[in-house]
Amino acid sequence: MTCIRTALTRTALAGVALTVAAQAAAAAEIHIIIEEVPEYDIVRTLTDRFMEEHPDITVTFDAMPFDAMRDRILTSSLAPSATYDVIIVDNPWMEQFARAGYLLSLDEMIAAAPDFAFDDFFEPLRDVATVDGTVYGVPYYNYALGLIVRQDIFDAAGLEVPTTLDDYVEVAAALTTDEMSGVAMQPQRGYKIMEEWSNWLFAAGGSLFDESGAIAINSAEAARALELYIQTYNDAAPDDSVNWGFDEALRSVASGRSATMLSYNWMLPTLNAPGGVAGDLAGNFRLHEVPGGQAVLGAWFWSIAANTEQTEAAWTFISWLTSQEIDTDRVIAGGAPVRSSVANDPAVWEAGFGEDYYTTVQGILEDAAPLATGIHAEEIIEIVGTSLSAAVSGQTSVQDALDEAAEGIERIR
Amino acid sequence: MHLRFRLILPLAAVLAAIMVYPLAFSGWISVHDYRLDRIDDVAFEGIGNYAFILTNPPFWNALTNTVVFVFGAVSIELALGLGLALLLRRMVHLPNTARAILLAPMFITPIAVGLMFRFLLNSEFGVIPHYLAALGIEVDWFGPDLALFSLILIDVWQWTPFMVLMFLAGLEALPKAPFEAARVDGASSWLTFRHLTLPMLRSVILVALIIRALDAFKVFEYVYAITRGGPGDSTETILFYIYKTGFRFFRLGEAASMAFVLVAVVLVLVIALYVAMRRRPGQAP
Repeated sequence: MTCIRTALTRTALAGVALTVAAQAAAAAEIHIIIEEVPEYDIVRTLTDRFMEEHPDITVTFDAMPFDAMRDRILTSSLAPSATYDVIIVDNPWMEQFARAGYLLSLDEMIAAAPDFAFDDFFEPLRDVATVDGTVYGVPYYNYALGLIVRQDIFDAAGLEVPTTLDDYVEVAAALTTDEMSGVAMQPQRGYKIMEEWSNWLFAAGGSLFDESGAIAINSAEAARALELYIQTYNDAAPDDSVNWGFDEALRSVASGRSATMLSYNWMLPTLNAPGGVAGDLAGNFRLHEVPGGQAVLGAWFWSIAANTEQTEAAWTFISWLTSQEIDTDRVIAGGAPVRSSVANDPAVWEAGFGEDYYTTVQGILEDAAPLATGIHAEEIIEIVGTSLSAAVSGQTSVQDALDEAAEGIERIR
Repeated sequence: MHLRFRLILPLAAVLAAIMVYPLAFSGWISVHDYRLDRIDDVAFEGIGNYAFILTNPPFWNALTNTVVFVFGAVSIELALGLGLALLLRRMVHLPNTARAILLAPMFITPIAVGLMFRFLLNSEFGVIPHYLAALGIEVDWFGPDLALFSLILIDVWQWTPFMVLMFLAGLEALPKAPFEAARVDGASSWLTFRHLTLPMLRSVILVALIIRALDAFKVFEYVYAITRGGPGDSTETILFYIYKTGFRFFRLGEAASMAFVLVAVVLVLVIALYVAMRRRPGQAP
């Protein structure tokens, strides 16, 4: 009798244990920190579909403005267990976070999923996601820069869209009237001016560092890029716009007060959306490659926190969302392309924003380069962005500003 | 243990947990090369961080900007606040409505005030430049010469009501007899203000100045929302600089040492202010 009772008890306990284990497996919940941008709306809709297909995984987002993200990621990464199982990582942060041990290597997971086709992501994006040969992120969306113009104004004036820096300076000045500025610039100190001016730097043949890794920010090419930038600010940008960032420039272009801007490629669908920010001007905007051809690359990546306990569920979500099939739906819904196959898909062109837009984005992404890389990327951007701002606002000369930036970078390296 | 010590034990424990430990830990961090991205590799620096920041021009620039901001903002707020409080006290019609309207800016979160003024003062879309232009006045509010002054004005707009509130309370608590005696003696309004109101308000002024100065030293939101410290480094304030160093660049040791230097500077200024205000008129220093 005792044996039977013991056996029954053990069976019952085993049953309870199995049920608990099954429930635990069934109740996988992943928390994701994400930036509150239009891309997030698309991802949220797709995630509902993911949860229907994967009822064992619950996904919750903590959406917030960009400025609040880095602090939260830091706090979560330093905690014994992660607040956020999945982190979206901006490209200047990638190497620092990877080297700090905040991110999990995705190599094995990618290797175990041959259909995932990681090589299909544009090469510059894969390069940012790879630190010392290890992949730490899967591209989410790109925000490489392009030249957005009021095509109707160019057509009416019989002007060609500029493809070189010198042409751009000339055309921007020619488009400037009492009612309209040739270009809405974003010379706000720090990230914004650095992001915009770096396109000018690339176009002038300059770079932050030379091929040997030596600081090249105070080169003759950089000086020329900055002189032309300042000349354009003085001749063709709205008056007193030295503090302008993205919001101000967008409003200026969308309201017809400026004819061009260097901005994120995915702003084109936003500006051309009927009933959108540009009102009656919607449909008149067109995207081109930045003058000089090489754009600044910006991109966000999906990464898994090193201190999460939900690695499997996190990878299931990321690999589903960034698969060719789902990424196609994301891009058709207005997301910025990251996969070559999706950007080349005629079905996407037709259902999305037309062949011209996607081929231009491809052209931008093929050789785009990040603002800065390495563990000090964030600080380098701030240092150079401060010096550039001082030069544009007339507080210092071009060469002094660039020399000061070079000294600042040297100090922290 | 004596009962009186046992009674203060819970309070002492709470204070130790929420004040002493964080301060001591900050002190420890400030003498180490403590980086948030290299938390397992912390090296003792001694006074290295302090030596670095004291010879670092951007730190001094940020501190100077902050001191200018505090003196500028608090002085204007003091003068305006006192003037408005005196006027409001004499107001006969709808005094409570006027007070409620006047106090409203104080209840808006500073980051919202920053964003609001960023667009109100925008050269292309802003309401204020639009009307000034109609009068033939063009002002580059966020240019290198005026940006810090513009931030001061925004602070004045938001925090003068606090001064008004303090001075109104102070004025209403003053005894009536000396003022009646002065009126009987034929003293002018200015004389009454100079020799009665102002001396009797000294302690209120001192408290208001200290509270506002301490608060103004923490200026962050306006810089964050409007200028990001620019153009160049003309509006970089010390708290913005500390935040960037610690939480964006992860150099927490350096940030902690800056915070301790800031505490020392604030302490010296507050003590100087306290001593100056407590001294009676005519008393030797």
